[in-house]
Amino acid sequence: MSDSVVTKFLTRSLHRRSFFRIGGAVAAATTLTLAGCGDDPVAPTGSSVLSLGQADAGLLNYIYVLEQLEAAFYQQVLAAAPADMSTEDKDLLTQIYQHEVVHRELLLQALSVAGAGVLSNLEFTFASLSLSSRSGVLTAARMFEDLIVAAYNGAAPLFADGTYLLLLGKIVSVEARHAALMHDLLQPGSFADNSVVEASGTFAGLERTLTVAEVITELNKYLVIKVSADNLPTA
Amino acid sequence: MNLFNIISELEKVDPEIMDRLSHRRSALSALGSLGKKMALAAAPIAIGSAFNKAVGQNTLNTANEVLNYALLLEYLEEDFYAQALAAPTLAANLTSGSAARGAIQTIKNHETAHVNLLKAALGTNANPRPASFDFGNAFLTYPTFLTFAQAFEDTGVRAYKGQATKIQSANQPAILQTALQIHSVEARHAAHIRYMRRGAAAGGQSNIMPWVVGKEANGAPDAVYGAGNPAATFPAEDNITQATLTLTTGLGATYTAADVSAAFDEGLDNTTVTTIARSVVTF
Repeated sequence: MSDSVVTKFLTRSLHRRSFFRIGGAVAAATTLTLAGCGDDPVAPTGSSVLSLGQADAGLLNYIYVLEQLEAAFYQQVLAAAPADMSTEDKDLLTQIYQHEVVHRELLLQALSVAGAGVLSNLEFTFASLSLSSRSGVLTAARMFEDLIVAAYNGAAPLFADGTYLLLLGKIVSVEARHAALMHDLLQPGSFADNSVVEASGTFAGLERTLTVAEVITELNKYLVIKVSADNLPTA
Repeated sequence: MNLFNIISELEKVDPEIMDRLSHRRSALSALGSLGKKMALAAAPIAIGSAFNKAVGQNTLNTANEVLNYALLLEYLEEDFYAQALAAPTLAANLTSGSAARGAIQTIKNHETAHVNLLKAALGTNANPRPASFDFGNAFLTYPTFLTFAQAFEDTGVRAYKGQATKIQSANQPAILQTALQIHSVEARHAAHIRYMRRGAAAGGQSNIMPWVVGKEANGAPDAVYGAGNPAATFPAEDNITQATLTLTTGLGATYTAADVSAAFDEGLDNTTVTTIARSVVTF
């Protein structure tokens, strides 16, 4: 790895490197702030479907929407936690919620730098989930965490620009830690059971992945206004 | 600090350092008419990262080298859990049919599967398994065993992450896909080992989270959570800066350093990982 991909990731528009980095970082932050004010909304593709966009920016939007989903979910759950959730449960979920918010906000900044339209402040509904008990909440959390790990693992190789790969890698392993915990809280020892990791055969020991299309189908179940991944790369 | 002395010392160790620095660093060559030492002296903040980059420690050059490196780590992990499952000192905790033994067996099975996957990918290029792994006092007690396990799993996560862009730049999408799918499994293992350490049998260490908070080592070697080389690419686990943004204050709200650092796992270069492994295991 020759260059800091993460630095390049946000400073590329400045074409500054080397010992201008310190100044560049400040400039990049300023640019980000300004860019955040001037985002054009993504044009709807039809009457009621939002396009994620295309290429790398579209993939970032895809990841960004997933992080919004998680943050919205934990926010709603923690605002009215079931009575049978312990203090420890709530503490663990609160920490996870904070991680998801940080992921969400960082991705928003990354999208701004990428010059992409941003699907911000999407509205989610979790009415189809049973969130009135500990087991209901943890079951839903486990499903979402497994979903996002499978989504990240499926999408990471699709990025044309390798500068995003390390950043996504830094996030996905934390999502996997969340997922493992949700499994363990529901059923001790199920942190990497065969619902997510192949137990036998050629692919034994590998976590399953989901295609963008498969994830979008799940995601749209919880979005008030649906999104379309029609223009995202698939290979 | 005296930069001239540092440069001079570096030149003793690495006579080509000035050439390497100037080749790698466009800014330095852009200042060609200035003496190189002057240019460096004018940029004291940059020298650390410039040097680190010039001698970057991800020394693996081909996909096969990366795969054999991963294979060595998987051999090590597999043997570690196999020895644990057979250790008389752990028998009272890893009793037949117990949740703890089930979990360790699951992890061991995954490591075996990873060994087989990597060997299959490498074919005749696969390096042989080392003759033996000596884990020293790792199996002395149940808490000791779990401390070592946490160190190996968290290091494994960092190690795979550290090779991701190398595999991608080698244009090996199938290998990258497989590595990602191993990487997240290692993260699940790490989370579970950490969760086990919270349990009463392991000392009830409820301060240990399934994720890495700051660079708290929880008894594992500090280097597992420290910076790699170059530190700009592989910062310590208490890093709160991503993509040049200081996330505690730079995202429009204030977040704690604990939450920000835990929200990201950092990568590690292969040289640092190997040094960590050899610091606790003889092989």
